[in-house]
Amino acid sequence: MNRMKNNIHLTALLFILFTVPFIALAQKESVKNNVVLNLGYYMSNNRVMYLMANAKTKVEGKFKPANGITMRLFLGNDSSQNLIGKVITDQHGLAKAIIPPALKNKWNGSFKHSFLAISEANKQYESATAEASITKSKIYIDTVSDGVTRSVMAKVSSFDGIKWMPAAGVEMKIGISRAGGGILSVGEKETYTTDSTGTVTAEFNKKGLPGDEHGLFMIVAKVDENEFYGNLLVEKLVPWGVVVKPDNSFFDQRTLWSTRFKTPFWLLFMAYSIVIGVWGTIVYLIMQIIKIKKLGMENNVV
Amino acid sequence: MENSTSITSEQISLDLLPKKFGKRGMIWTGILVLICLVGMVGYYRQLRYGMVVTSMRDYVSWGIYISNFVFFVAISLVGSLITAIFRLANVKWATPLTRIAEIIAVSAIVFASLIIIVDMGRPERFLNLFLHGRIQSPIMWDVIVITTYFCISLLLLYFPLLPDLKILIKFKEKSSNALQKLYCFQGSFWKGTKAQYKISEKAINILCITIIPVAFSIHTVTSWLFATTYRPGWDSTNFGAYFISGAFLVGAGGVVVAMYIFRKYYNLEKYILEDHFEKMGKVVVLLALLYLYFNINEYMVPAFKMKKSEEAHLLELFTGDFAIMFWFAQIVGLIIPIFVLLFKKGRKPLPMFIIGIMVVVGAWFKRYLIVTPTLLNPFLPMQEVPASYHYYFPSWEEWAIAMGSLAGALLVITFFVRIYPIIPIQETITEQHEQDEK
Amino acid sequence: MENQDTSRREFLLTGLMTTMATVGCSEKKNPFLPEKAVVLSGEKVKLLSVDGEIIEVDKAFLKPVPELPPVSIDESRKGIAGKKFVMVIDLARCKNLKYCQSSCNHMHQVHSSQNWMKIYEMQDSDNTAPYWQPTNCMHCDEPPCVKVCPVDATFKREDGIVLIDNVRCVGCRFCMAACPYSSRVFNWEPSDFKVEGEIKPYSPETSVPQKVGTVGKCDFCPDRHREGKLPYCVEACPNGVFFFGDMNEDVVTNGAETFRFSELIKDKAGYRLMEDLGTKPRVYYLPPVNRNFPFENGLENENVADKKKTSK
Repeated sequence: MNRMKNNIHLTALLFILFTVPFIALAQKESVKNNVVLNLGYYMSNNRVMYLMANAKTKVEGKFKPANGITMRLFLGNDSSQNLIGKVITDQHGLAKAIIPPALKNKWNGSFKHSFLAISEANKQYESATAEASITKSKIYIDTVSDGVTRSVMAKVSSFDGIKWMPAAGVEMKIGISRAGGGILSVGEKETYTTDSTGTVTAEFNKKGLPGDEHGLFMIVAKVDENEFYGNLLVEKLVPWGVVVKPDNSFFDQRTLWSTRFKTPFWLLFMAYSIVIGVWGTIVYLIMQIIKIKKLGMENNVV
Repeated sequence: MENSTSITSEQISLDLLPKKFGKRGMIWTGILVLICLVGMVGYYRQLRYGMVVTSMRDYVSWGIYISNFVFFVAISLVGSLITAIFRLANVKWATPLTRIAEIIAVSAIVFASLIIIVDMGRPERFLNLFLHGRIQSPIMWDVIVITTYFCISLLLLYFPLLPDLKILIKFKEKSSNALQKLYCFQGSFWKGTKAQYKISEKAINILCITIIPVAFSIHTVTSWLFATTYRPGWDSTNFGAYFISGAFLVGAGGVVVAMYIFRKYYNLEKYILEDHFEKMGKVVVLLALLYLYFNINEYMVPAFKMKKSEEAHLLELFTGDFAIMFWFAQIVGLIIPIFVLLFKKGRKPLPMFIIGIMVVVGAWFKRYLIVTPTLLNPFLPMQEVPASYHYYFPSWEEWAIAMGSLAGALLVITFFVRIYPIIPIQETITEQHEQDEK
Repeated sequence: MENQDTSRREFLLTGLMTTMATVGCSEKKNPFLPEKAVVLSGEKVKLLSVDGEIIEVDKAFLKPVPELPPVSIDESRKGIAGKKFVMVIDLARCKNLKYCQSSCNHMHQVHSSQNWMKIYEMQDSDNTAPYWQPTNCMHCDEPPCVKVCPVDATFKREDGIVLIDNVRCVGCRFCMAACPYSSRVFNWEPSDFKVEGEIKPYSPETSVPQKVGTVGKCDFCPDRHREGKLPYCVEACPNGVFFFGDMNEDVVTNGAETFRFSELIKDKAGYRLMEDLGTKPRVYYLPPVNRNFPFENGLENENVADKKKTSK
């Protein structure tokens, strides 16, 4: 009886052991992760317009970029003639599409537009959508100087269907574009907001800031995720920087941390003189062995 | 002297010719081979699974391999001491000991280089050291100096061997055909003419002079592997001299042990005299006192200041996790030998033998203490690593490899003794003649 | 081009755009030489402008740049010309969240028991305040690790970055003994990191794939810099602890805020670790004053992280 019981236990255990992995597997297949899409409109220098889609997914309570997600981007609704492009997100979960010339008429037809992103469902992820809408806008940057102080002036204007109107209350950064995407504000304030004329002026107070070898650096006016206009950027090179000549004298030194091609001379001299001295002696001594050998051979002949 | 009654050259030769392994010799060799094989298994596992089989981790990134390396380099220094320094100082009594010292030096330096390759994470890239060698690195200095020292030691072994090879060839019936071929290849051209002797004498003199700076370099450079870093316990300007004095001590201890064993096993009482032990005893006690001086210097001065970075390290040695080992190395490896050897009775063969073993074992642990505790006291605290990174005790693979390398060095010496006379025959005969003439 | 008729006033051409300049804007008059601009690919792309015009633009202007292939080993030994990278770590902002660490470990495929970025719980003496100190490779200007490398496997580049070539490294670990900041780790066994997607070819700039038997450490993400992005740790930190930039530009940024490096260091009394050793690190610290978070907040994160580690 007892044995029987044991057997039942055993079978049950075996059953569980064998089925659990399958159930787990099946569950894994059926439960897909949700993807969160974000869509942004970008316009730089009043020329290039593009859309950037960002796909994220929640893994263990944290958002992580979702790569390899195929999505279609549309201007307006999702009919095929409105297709902007089909894109796949990269390892940072980003995908980009420029607005193709084929949509010229549609674009010119209105001063307000909405964009639509639809991601395809795949083995891992559910389908998702995202929308963005903008009013056509432009951004300008210029420099003003009264001989003593220099200022940067930026202006945003939006299209009302007939003409370009000043856009007030647009928050932006005005600064110097730097490595890694950093924008160093030209003045005191972190951000600036346009007035009723759509303009904003910021005084340049970054005296002595290094430029390139011609003293140039790029000033930018950048609008981030504005609810009406999206992301706008305009750049201008100005000769306001201190001329910085590339200086590699530190790196070109012959030091202990340099590569083997830049060994300090004193070290080379020491090393070679020691090595040559000692190995010269060793070679001399080996020649002595040969000499002894020769003497021995001569004796043989005699 | 006990052997003032002259022995014939014939008798000397017969006494000193290499002899076949007896039963004990076979067992000894067998055990050594076995230890080597276990070491090879350990190394196979290390190659197969990566260095994760060792207990070394990011903090203790150098362990028993490196301390073993330092030990080998240290003990190899004795070749230069007994042969070169004594020879140049005209210390005649050391002549029978020169070959023992030289073969210890050669085998130790061979295994020093091998253990360094074992310590490398990528041994198959060993050639990079020559293809992309960077002379700024103390490791390159070590590579250069060790190869140089190896070559010089081989030459110093070879030149004095030439006259003995002639004797070996003369006593054909005492050795097998294969060995005879080896002897003939190495020394059939030696006829013992005056011209040959003259060249040989000159060569040996040059070698003796050359080997001293090179020997000092190998151990100084080895000490610089540590002293060129910032770490507490290593950051010392004294390190070169400290290492060299320690090396002479362990080398002399090693020679004493070897002397005793060869004397006992091959019945060389007529050649390795009690007087040799007496004199070596004085040498050992002198070297031990010197090393004690450096030890006091190395530990007392930082302990007086107790800089923050040094404090944890020193306390760990004096009273902490490494205290037992530290005091063992100091007392057993240094202080007891000094006390015993100060007395004439302590310099008899058997006590000398025991003291020699104590010195060598103490020295081995001393090297371990130089390498490991320092690495466990980094400048920034040990955080954000698994618990196993916080301490170090060698894994069985490491022990096997380290012991295998020690056994390998002993095996080289054993085979050398089987093939060549461990006491220079010709020189002993010459000295005998000189004595007789007196 | 089609936009010749557009009034120039409305079409403010900028530095970048001069390369696509219309006939009306001759380059001689323009002081802003286009050499600052992107290297042209020669390939033109037609696209729609905001005015509804069809324009042709060189492909190189379509940022972000398509993913570059990893730089060759020879190239990554030279470094990025004209740069001197520098990092500033603001201790007042750190609460031991360890996002920097996990992002770094993930992107560099670091073994699960090791970290390139460590957040130390520091207390200099009994009566001084505890603080959290993120520590990565200091990319010293007098790097003790590079000094001792026997085979040029670790090297200093002209942009200040110290990298490791794990194709060259012999695994002697001398550099680990030489580094006073304990920032180097050794690949004691093959990385247990599961690589998703294709395995890219090795480059010292990406440090991946990791190789068993070689040394690894923080590489300052020069591959990211080539793409115009910030290092992973800088990007991952939600509190903006890390600032990264080019000393030649005198600016550091954490993505959201941008400061003049010299002013930031001056105003907040920046310092470097173990200055007395003479290693001249390229990583600066801002002291933990006027903190954004009490030290204890970090302890909670410490516990969470510990739990996670033990549960694994």
